[in-house]
Amino acid sequence: MQTKAILLLLFGLALTACTDLELLPQDKADPNAVLSQEENYEVFLAKLYAGLAVTGQQGPAGASDIQSLDEGFGQYLRALYNLQELPTDEAVIGWNDAGLPELVQQTWSSDNQFIRAMYYRIFYQVSIANEFLRETTAERLDARGIREGFRPTVEQFRAEARFLRALSYWHAIDMFGDVIFYTEESSLGGAAPEEASRAEIFAFVESELQAIESQLPEIGAAEYGRADRGALYMLQAKLYQNAQVYTGQDRNADAIAALVKVIDSDAYRLEEDYADLFKADNDRSEEIIFPINFDGDFTQGYGGTTFLVHASIGGNMTAEDYGVNSAWGGLRTTPSFVALFPDVTGDTDERAIFYTEGQNREVTALGEFSNGYAVPKFTNVTSNGVAGKDPVFADTDFPVFRLADAYLMYAESVVRGGGGSMARAVELVNELRERAYDGDAGNVAESDLTLDFLLDERARELYWETHRRTDLIRFGRFSTAGVWAWKGGVPEGKTTAAYLDLFPIPSSEILSNPNLSQNEGY
Amino acid sequence: MQHALPQLRRLLFLVAVFTSHLIFAQTTVSGTITDQESGEPLIGASVLAVGTSTGTVSDFDGQYAITVPDGATQLQFSYTGYATVTEDINGRTTIDLTLTAGELLDEVVVVGYGAVKKQDLTGAVATIEEESFNRGAIVSPQNLISGKVAGVNISTNSGNPGEAPTVRIRGGTSINASNDPLYVVDGVPLDANGVTGGRSPLNFLNPDDIASMNVLKDASAAAIYGSRGANGVIIITTKKGQSGTPRISYRAEGTVSEMIDRTQNLGADDFRNVVTFAAPGRLETLGTANTNWFDELTQTGYGTQQNLSISGGGESNTYRVSAGYQQLQGVIRGAETERISLNLNFSQKLFDDKLTVGASLKGANENNQYDPGVINASLDLDPTQPVYDPANTAYGGYFEYGIALAPRNPVSATEQILNEGTTYRGLGNLDLEYDFDDLIPGLTYKAVLGFDANSGKSNRFVPTTFATNAIDGYDGEINIASNLRTSKLFDTYFTYAKEFGSQRASLQVGYSYQNFNFEGPSLRGRDLTTDAFGTANPGVAEDIVAFNSVVENRLISFFGRLNYNFDERYLITASLRRDGSSRFGPSNRWGMFPSAAFAWRILQEDFAAGLANTFTDLKLRVGYGVTGNQDFGDYLYLPVYQYSDQMTQYQFGQEFVPTIRPNAYDADLKWEETSSLNVGLDFGILNNRFTGTLEYYQKNTDDLLFTVNVPAGTNLSDRVLTNIGALDNRGVELTLNGVVYDRERFGLDLTGNVSFQHTEISRLDGFGSADIQTGGIAGGVGNNIQLLSVGQTPYSFYVYEQKYGEDGRPLRDGIDYNEDGVANNLDIYQDQNGDGTINEQDLVINEAPAPDVLLGLTANARYGRLNASFTLRGTLGNFVYNNAASNAGHLSRIAGPGYVSNVHASAVYTRFNNPQYFSDYYVEDGSFLRLDNVSLSYDFGNLANDRLNLNVYATAQNLFILTEYSGTDPESGGIDNNPFPRARIYTLGARIGL
Repeated sequence: MQTKAILLLLFGLALTACTDLELLPQDKADPNAVLSQEENYEVFLAKLYAGLAVTGQQGPAGASDIQSLDEGFGQYLRALYNLQELPTDEAVIGWNDAGLPELVQQTWSSDNQFIRAMYYRIFYQVSIANEFLRETTAERLDARGIREGFRPTVEQFRAEARFLRALSYWHAIDMFGDVIFYTEESSLGGAAPEEASRAEIFAFVESELQAIESQLPEIGAAEYGRADRGALYMLQAKLYQNAQVYTGQDRNADAIAALVKVIDSDAYRLEEDYADLFKADNDRSEEIIFPINFDGDFTQGYGGTTFLVHASIGGNMTAEDYGVNSAWGGLRTTPSFVALFPDVTGDTDERAIFYTEGQNREVTALGEFSNGYAVPKFTNVTSNGVAGKDPVFADTDFPVFRLADAYLMYAESVVRGGGGSMARAVELVNELRERAYDGDAGNVAESDLTLDFLLDERARELYWETHRRTDLIRFGRFSTAGVWAWKGGVPEGKTTAAYLDLFPIPSSEILSNPNLSQNEGY
Repeated sequence: MQHALPQLRRLLFLVAVFTSHLIFAQTTVSGTITDQESGEPLIGASVLAVGTSTGTVSDFDGQYAITVPDGATQLQFSYTGYATVTEDINGRTTIDLTLTAGELLDEVVVVGYGAVKKQDLTGAVATIEEESFNRGAIVSPQNLISGKVAGVNISTNSGNPGEAPTVRIRGGTSINASNDPLYVVDGVPLDANGVTGGRSPLNFLNPDDIASMNVLKDASAAAIYGSRGANGVIIITTKKGQSGTPRISYRAEGTVSEMIDRTQNLGADDFRNVVTFAAPGRLETLGTANTNWFDELTQTGYGTQQNLSISGGGESNTYRVSAGYQQLQGVIRGAETERISLNLNFSQKLFDDKLTVGASLKGANENNQYDPGVINASLDLDPTQPVYDPANTAYGGYFEYGIALAPRNPVSATEQILNEGTTYRGLGNLDLEYDFDDLIPGLTYKAVLGFDANSGKSNRFVPTTFATNAIDGYDGEINIASNLRTSKLFDTYFTYAKEFGSQRASLQVGYSYQNFNFEGPSLRGRDLTTDAFGTANPGVAEDIVAFNSVVENRLISFFGRLNYNFDERYLITASLRRDGSSRFGPSNRWGMFPSAAFAWRILQEDFAAGLANTFTDLKLRVGYGVTGNQDFGDYLYLPVYQYSDQMTQYQFGQEFVPTIRPNAYDADLKWEETSSLNVGLDFGILNNRFTGTLEYYQKNTDDLLFTVNVPAGTNLSDRVLTNIGALDNRGVELTLNGVVYDRERFGLDLTGNVSFQHTEISRLDGFGSADIQTGGIAGGVGNNIQLLSVGQTPYSFYVYEQKYGEDGRPLRDGIDYNEDGVANNLDIYQDQNGDGTINEQDLVINEAPAPDVLLGLTANARYGRLNASFTLRGTLGNFVYNNAASNAGHLSRIAGPGYVSNVHASAVYTRFNNPQYFSDYYVEDGSFLRLDNVSLSYDFGNLANDRLNLNVYATAQNLFILTEYSGTDPESGGIDNNPFPRARIYTLGARIGL
């Protein structure tokens, strides 16, 4: 009897067996819970901006957004710098990391990890912006009980998300040509995106920028670090000025229309001292139209200006002079770039920021830091000479768009026949040269304002600010024309094949997305 | 075997003849020894005159002759696998005898949720009993069976005391999920993950408390563990008490660990010569000292172990309690491990023996000290610089460059940085077994209630005087972490057994619930205002960041198993487990894991009667089963938002705004499923004097969990963990055991195993590319030396093909060998696609780190009371990337500026100017044969009027290694980057039994 009772009890127990397997994370948040709170919309939006500056959710590294490359190497701005500057006359790098010498020498393949990092970073930005847009539709806001009064703020956030997406799509077509195209209409885990032509995406970006113009704050009205119409006009101008390359159509007139809005506005003025634009306290500069923000305490990573400051010092240079604790000894420049300046000391043109002591002008050995002048343009020292908050992570913000660029773009579009005023163009260029020469000694006349001059002037003014590759291609000097040290893999440099004007789609992406075709030549 | 047999007989005969010639004296007794069942003569049976050391063995015809010394009145007849018989001589001169095959074959083997008779076993299960364990200073239980089981590779990648070995049963089945087997201790499946402050989660078990380790190798055996069985299961059974008078055993030993110096960076004089030759301009940066930085870090390690156990029991109960203390120093200063362990096993029978209550409680406290990890710094730092620089008070009086990227002074790190951890672990289980025989004959019920609590904390303190402020810009650092990892278990099952005629069957059905929790808060404080408090007062840190991680997962299972035996000839085992895991979304939450196995005991067949002369056992086994793997992380199927920490905010205006990120996820995530086929043949000849097992297996892992490149735009990262493709393992294993020689005075047993294995990624489905470079190396950033690709062994090296000169040396960089006007990589590497440039597309698949062949050989010899044993272990076809050489073997290390770094000796040979990380020159054959273990013991037998027995032993571990590998140690996990050196360890110990 006793035995039977026990047996029955046991069978009874078996029926009560637990089968609950619904466990939710506790140290990460549920999307619905997060987005039921108004303050989190700004926090989510901050991620879209931060995607340009940091690499993941932990600083300086950790919980990385993308995994194809070492976190620091794969940071957006660092990847952009590597692709836009290293293959040009403005920079060489001495490190032997796989794929890096190939960037300098224009001998990359579709397996290059730095190209891969840029590609995935760009589309990470697109994906995260799409996700933001999907999660902030009126339906979703209704479902999460977001009050009407907060809706206009969300509308502006959405416009900013679309601006950031447009910015990355511009980078995509500039570097990769025909790429995948997808918007918030796509869904996560769905089919692989289809390919769209460079022209189609150009048209999309163009229409997006038109659509969000009224939703973004007035020019200069946004708080520092966020996009307003000033940033939007600059992006429009970039698109239009390069439209010949992207679509085969000359859109210089449209570029001028956008640039005039920037130049004529009161929102920006040139920084008095050129070097101050690239220092630890440049967040107070009125010349910067759209920055990527970094901070030694709160926005840490191994890319961005931290990379630009550390990597450009080495040799006999004292790291502390640049507000950091260590020299990574990587970046220098080619003799062709040095030759653009009247002298290397900066006494004539203060934009010539070179460190020459112990450095050879020539780059005979790529791996030797002493080969090629060092360029300590970006520093982690404030305009008052005080070191930044942290000796490793720079406070210095990076100017994506700044007024001087607008001036030079205006001049170029005028010279290219887009309309506008030639006199104004000369005046604007001379404003920059007066700053550089501390007077009018370097001023140019209308007759000097040739395309060749403007390409060189852009280099002198905007070097290392991730414009060079795009500029050289627009001027037809990137591959088949133009020779500088190590281009083509030889110390003296040689011309290369035209297909290099576009980077390859990473082979990993070609293998995983059957809708994509590889760029010609790869 | 047909051919080998006559030779064997001849050998045995010679041995027998030789032995019998040693005997001379008075009374001679002779006779014939035969098998009772078959009447066949027994060859090599021992005959011993009781009370003397005189003995002999029977010859080919089963005949023996023994000269009995005066005073001997009895003869003892013994034969492996047969019951021993003692006969009174009673003045006889002829004693013919029959021996009966003994009960030895009725060995019981522990399998999941129960045990089966060895002869009924249908799966590939290897049992290693205590007496076969490796000896010496062993901290991690896994090392007890290293080299003992075919197809099981147990390899420790460093010599850190207590370091967790890597255990691979028949190769790894996964890429991104775990490849570790499931460990089940006394019925409780353990959480494979450790806690901070501990070196290996299994180290809480005192090897001295372990009775046996069973390795379930194939799916038909492991499928009862369902979703956790794909990488095999290791069942650890601790020692239990036995009824009778209390037995007390005490063991004490001391160990000495000795450094085997094989480092390869240059000494001070050689370094001066190299600098003089390669960069005379840098001579000015050299110092005047002669410092061997590596020697400054090493020490002779001492250790001790004390174990006490008391066991016994009454008629209805048994108990065993034990306490252990072990302490072991590493050969690098600062590395030490200490364990205090307690183990209690108790069993009581109640209600007319119907209810058996078993309780087991294991507790351990582990204290670890860690070296600061500066072996590489010791090889980098200029050997001409001094250790101390008293004037340098900012750095505590140690020599330092004060340059951020320069190597730190390793002695300063060793002496100033404190890094220690403590864990407490308790594992307890209560087993209730009830016999329902009186109600339903053959029905039993068992319930296991268990808990496992693993708590750890670690403290690390870097004082302000350590030169970190130059590197990272802060003064001193405190890290405090504490982890609590717990699991709760409830298993319950019924077993019903029935015999009908010549058939036997048993059926088992059960339910299992296991819940795992983890919480790990930690704190980092920087910029200390004082060093006075160590880690005790983090409030002195100006910059404090706190972290936490909280994770929970649950596994719920229903399982059943059927064993069927037909006429002792055909054995069938079938099992089915249904597992539910919280790690998957609702649609994939439950998985089914079936298995079936069939065994045929050939000797039971009539037609096999002729074989019975030769074979005592011949069993063919075929098994098939499906197991799973879910060991890869939690909540990955769910969309979650992750908050940024304080260092990843973004500036809006003058404010910093934190960020949230929607994480990438795969809502359709499910288990990996490994289907495996196993065909095995067990055989025993000459009364199981020689036994062996031959196995063939094939494992196919489907729905492989793989972090693949996903098409941009389809998820919220570039790589996502998803189920894609398949991985295949296959192999052949052979195990042979032999009692080569077995006499009263002298005996020799040999056990050897050899296994051949191969693993490759066989398929990838849908979109997603597997060509993923992995295997980060030291040197450069983002340099990955290995590839995961379809058709290849996982982690194959992916390198450039080096060109060699006529002198056999690799062509060096910086010389225009091909005379194209430029010295570049085209001169030294093969341009595989002929496009005139060397880039990533010229990388080629080379070899892989996984071995093709595993070897193990154990020999046990006894001579009288003296016992000697050794274990040889080896692998063939495992390749190693010599990162130590590639990273330091180039002359640009002495280019400066400000400081010069020591170079690897290979630079003198290769004369590379710049690092050639991707040269296949650095991919080396790491095949090796290591003498893991040599042990010698002497048994004093009973002393002090039989009141105690004494055994004294000495062991040497890691006595020698045969290898072509040029680096420090081929067992370094595939990428050799100067691991913690493996010591040679000598142990002297004694065991006293009361």
